[in-house]
Amino acid sequence: MHDQLARIKSHIDTHQHMAGALLPLLHAIQDDLGYIPEDCYGDIAKALNLSVAEVHGVVSFYHHFRTHAPGRHILQICRAESCQAMGSTQLEAHAKSSLGIDYHQTSPDNAVTLEAVYCLGNCACSPAIMLDDQVYGRVTPQQLSQLLAKAREVAA
Amino acid sequence: MDKQTDYGTPASRNTEQQVTLDIDGHSITVAKGTSIMHAAMQAGISIPKLCATDSLEPFGSCRLCLVEIDGRRGYPASCTTPVDEGLKVHTQTPKLADIRRGVMELYISDHPLDCLTCSANGDCELQDMAGAVGLREVRYGYEGSNHLSAEKDNSNPYFQFDASKCIVCSRCVRACEETQGTFALTIQGRGFDSKVAAGNFDNFLDSECVSCGACVAACPTATLMEKTVIESGQPEHSVITTCAYCGVGCSFRAEMKGEQVVRMVPDKNGGANHGHSCVKGRFAWGYATHRDRITKPMIRKSIHDAWQEVSWEEAISYAASELQRIQSKHGRNAIGAITSSRCTNEETYLVQKLVRAAFGNNNVDTCARVCHSPTGYGLKQTLGESAGTQTFDSVMQSDVIMVIGANPTDGHPVFGSQMKRRLRQGAKLIIADPRAIDLVSGPHVQADYHLKLKPGTNVALITAMAHVVVTEGLVDEAFVKARCEWDSFQYWSEFVAQPENSPEAMEAAIGVPASDLRAAARLFATGGNAAIYYGLGVTEHSQGSTMVMGIANLAMATGNIGREGVGVNPLRGQNNVQGSCDMGSFPHEFPAIATFPTMPPAPCWKMPGADRWITSQACASPICWTLRLMVASRRCIAKVKTLPSPTPTPSM
Amino acid sequence: MITIYVPRDSSALSLGANQVAAAIQQEADQRQISIKLVRNGSRGMFWLEPMVEVLTVQGRVAYGPVQPEDVASLFDAGFTEGGQHALSLGLTDELPWLKRQERLTFARVGITDPVCLDDYLAHEGYRGLRNTLVQSPEAIVAQVTDSGLRGRGGAAFPTGIKWKTVMVAQAEQKYIVCNADEGDSGTYSDRMIMEGDPFVLIEGMTIAGIAVGATQGYIYVRSEYPHSIAALNLAIKEAYAAGYLGRSILGSTHDFYLEVRRAAGAYVCGEETALLESLEGKRGLVRFKPPLPAISGLFGKPTVINNVISLATVPIIMDKGSEYYRDYGMGRSRGTLPIQLAGNLKHAGLVEKAFGVTLRELLYDYGGGSASGRPIKAVQVGGPLGAYLPESQFDTPLDYEAFSKLWAVLGHGGIVAFDDTVDMAHMARYALEFCAVESCGKCTPCRIGSTRGVEVMDKVMAGTDHVQNIALLRDLSDTMLNGSLCALGGMTPYPVLSALNHFPQDFGLSEAGVNKKERAA
Repeated sequence: MHDQLARIKSHIDTHQHMAGALLPLLHAIQDDLGYIPEDCYGDIAKALNLSVAEVHGVVSFYHHFRTHAPGRHILQICRAESCQAMGSTQLEAHAKSSLGIDYHQTSPDNAVTLEAVYCLGNCACSPAIMLDDQVYGRVTPQQLSQLLAKAREVAA
Repeated sequence: MDKQTDYGTPASRNTEQQVTLDIDGHSITVAKGTSIMHAAMQAGISIPKLCATDSLEPFGSCRLCLVEIDGRRGYPASCTTPVDEGLKVHTQTPKLADIRRGVMELYISDHPLDCLTCSANGDCELQDMAGAVGLREVRYGYEGSNHLSAEKDNSNPYFQFDASKCIVCSRCVRACEETQGTFALTIQGRGFDSKVAAGNFDNFLDSECVSCGACVAACPTATLMEKTVIESGQPEHSVITTCAYCGVGCSFRAEMKGEQVVRMVPDKNGGANHGHSCVKGRFAWGYATHRDRITKPMIRKSIHDAWQEVSWEEAISYAASELQRIQSKHGRNAIGAITSSRCTNEETYLVQKLVRAAFGNNNVDTCARVCHSPTGYGLKQTLGESAGTQTFDSVMQSDVIMVIGANPTDGHPVFGSQMKRRLRQGAKLIIADPRAIDLVSGPHVQADYHLKLKPGTNVALITAMAHVVVTEGLVDEAFVKARCEWDSFQYWSEFVAQPENSPEAMEAAIGVPASDLRAAARLFATGGNAAIYYGLGVTEHSQGSTMVMGIANLAMATGNIGREGVGVNPLRGQNNVQGSCDMGSFPHEFPAIATFPTMPPAPCWKMPGADRWITSQACASPICWTLRLMVASRRCIAKVKTLPSPTPTPSM
Repeated sequence: MITIYVPRDSSALSLGANQVAAAIQQEADQRQISIKLVRNGSRGMFWLEPMVEVLTVQGRVAYGPVQPEDVASLFDAGFTEGGQHALSLGLTDELPWLKRQERLTFARVGITDPVCLDDYLAHEGYRGLRNTLVQSPEAIVAQVTDSGLRGRGGAAFPTGIKWKTVMVAQAEQKYIVCNADEGDSGTYSDRMIMEGDPFVLIEGMTIAGIAVGATQGYIYVRSEYPHSIAALNLAIKEAYAAGYLGRSILGSTHDFYLEVRRAAGAYVCGEETALLESLEGKRGLVRFKPPLPAISGLFGKPTVINNVISLATVPIIMDKGSEYYRDYGMGRSRGTLPIQLAGNLKHAGLVEKAFGVTLRELLYDYGGGSASGRPIKAVQVGGPLGAYLPESQFDTPLDYEAFSKLWAVLGHGGIVAFDDTVDMAHMARYALEFCAVESCGKCTPCRIGSTRGVEVMDKVMAGTDHVQNIALLRDLSDTMLNGSLCALGGMTPYPVLSALNHFPQDFGLSEAGVNKKERAA
């Protein structure tokens, strides 16, 4: 906890003098901790001459930012048109049923958080998914199962 | 009850150029930069709107105010589209009616249909607009996604937040930002999930909200509503009055039901507050009908007796006879009166007139004695008038603001908000204060220099800054030569230029690094219109008068006197400090701040500002300041004080 | 030393390019063959990715799609000398798919090492900037204006006119902002430039800065593009080190500083004013206009905000002249458009062609027809806010005005094909759902209308009060179209109404739009 606070403070120190610093700072915190703890809003606000309300407004606006720790892996499935044209709805259903969760939820073993994404720019290789930082193209339900099984073996 | 006209957007700041356009066949000439919506309203043409109100910058979100303009594509929003020469605007067409009804249908598909039992019934812009656009049915039904079950937030003692009635126009959020400058509100989430939130806190009371009520005033629906209105219903008439709390002197509309105040609403026409308020004036008016309040005359013969209710006639004649009795027994100077800066000009004038004409002495004083007499004295000595030089609005022209020994956001909140607005527009800020007041650092405010001086070193600080101005050639000599006394200036400049007054020599005493003192002085002298605002942190020191003179001298030396955006600005304790002084409440000054004659007195009625009622006895009688008056009364020299309202003992 | 190319492009990586590269290196080490492995951009033939190229005396020879398990046999076949293999594709430059294109903006993509400045310079890089440095701002802006270049983000506003507004604006600080928030589904050309030739974007922005007098630039890249961000940052670092960025560019009096900023998952931030709000660290709410960003943009200062492709096209215009570029195209659509083929196509990929090529040519000659082998029923052009076009409109040439006549848009040049299994009512519902997910929530038509639209579509698809709900869908579309503050709410009716109008049967209506169920009753 103390360590977390110190890390947040160091990100604040590195970013607070940038023009339009809030998003880069929030990214830095989330990249480091996996999420943005709400109890650091006050420190962020103070350093950036903002109100806590403004920080909350910004964090809650952007779907990328999360305020609670996700599962060990984050699986994003592209829901956009090109992937739909190549069968992403089946992939989506497969992911939900095999993980036993819906979008924005984490599997009971805390291994995988499932998120929707609207285009990964991999439209020539639809359907596409992103598992943590890796994009995969032309993904079949079987491939998805293999990827998830592998991910569950290895801690992120 | 008369409603104040809402022009939808603020008036244009451009007062020089005029533009003529045609709206619905009417030729209208307005200032350049005016919105089409505002221009239409000036001509009496009301365009439907929900997110627009003239206390806030245009936002363009509700999409009800769309218009058609000949030669332009689409349907521009009249709130965000400025007028242009020769425009031909149509505010009512069949297509616009369709769009407006379509938008309204969406609004009402996510709004409770409880108008008859709603606290805003009769004062709801959503209701008005549904009527204006002729909405007759909501084809979406009411089974879809909605916010109707959102919980009420009753945490704030003065107002309720009912999210189920919110139309997400953001007027509250914008009022908190633009009008109040606290930024306590935000929209949480986005899209259909957008919700007004007081930060990530559970409720308003725990948030950064200061309960100024700007959001409540800005809300077009019952979402943010005064609890007194929820309890009592809509008021039926209003009375314009002035807030008695602080030195800003905000104008209010006391909205009434018969004799009962339902709510206090800041008056848009108020010269000091322009429709804004703070928590005190807005909500802390319970004293008006508090049971502790004395509403009937009472007398008692001795402090050991109980108070007895009597008629006014009896009370007045008893008081008069007692005053006469004491005077005849103990002499003319045995009685006096203390008046208050919370009184009106008329009241204070009458009190001092009673003293000078009826008592025949000068035993009158005011509470301003303890807070701002150094202002009166110091400014009279330097500027020739014992008054501040600017209106509050002047701050909107300031480029550099120096705050000394004052805490505007706490002590003068409505002016503090105005100052913050100017700071957000880019004015620089110097704060000389031992405390880290809110203005030093906060949402969208950051002082350029916080001179954290040691208490008691005001004069050293202002002199060190003057030293920098004089020795670095930053004096506005043309101004000084044209407007000041050159010999006096030279005497002063030679003094402040002495090495022992330099920032380097003084930094240890002041407790502020010399580099900061120098930088702040340079900024003040060269940053454009520079204004000084000061408060009791200057005047309630033993060297208060000297400091006030130092402030005035710095302003004069840098040419920061005599126009908008500059000046010497005392922030007073009560709303009528200046008035009570002007009315002759001080023992040593007659009305209009006429100075006391030197002994032996000239015939008083020949003195400027003095009326014939001032008796020669009064002219001849000694000056008895509040403290002396009170000490005297305890020693039974002065036997009676008449106290219009202040309680001098606690405030001393 | 043998030079072997394995792309670093995200799509190639998504198909295993890193594993292929590793296998090649390992196999070469084992066989003690000295190779130089270059991680190039993609040529855009994604059905062939990971596509490996080998530099031979005849030129570059291509193999693909290569999987790690193919690597040993490639070495066995002598692919390092261009030897024949089952995956042989021949000389890359002779591949008809590439040969028939007009690659101007994408001239270097797939050819060079994207993050190697020397490679960029060796392939005509920074010639545009050198020309720029000897010209007046007016002359530079005139050259861009004369080229006929229009904003490739979708709005198609003439780039030169935008620049001129910023050039003449008086301000202490001006900005160049690159909109790299390529959120339109079915598009990836921005990504390919950023990953495959980041220097061309940096050069374009530097030229823009010099032209309008801006000294600070920002590239706002969506967070879904980590490889783009990485490539840009590498290239920017090189450019600074070599004096192409920073103080006194190439010894001139011009300064230009450039920084990458990462978005955070908001489609609406591809709208220029919402993007500026986001860059300022705020919620990505759309601003009303006027004032235009060119007058009051980032931090209230005059700002050029252009799409990646617009800015990446500037260097070739400054290098080869406005006429060279203007000579391509048709009508008022001058130059070329990088077209992105996506969805249900056999050969999906990047085709840069002069305006005027027809949809049919792209879908069949380049795209090879549907991947499923079934008939193509509809294509959506221009992203999630673009109209659906039926087969009867496939002969339309790619031209802003031709599309506008059809009540369709070219947008950012993305084409997503659907075969005949698609339910267009479902796609209309999806368009509204997407709008609901991505709405910033500022204006009422989009904030409430998108959610109500999904509900109305559910009723339409369930056949509940069918006639009334179809009418309501049209009325709602009209409210959103005419009442919304920006294109998100304002253009969502494009896919919805085009689906309804072109494919009425999917909405339970007969061909003529008459309600089937009503007629039966």
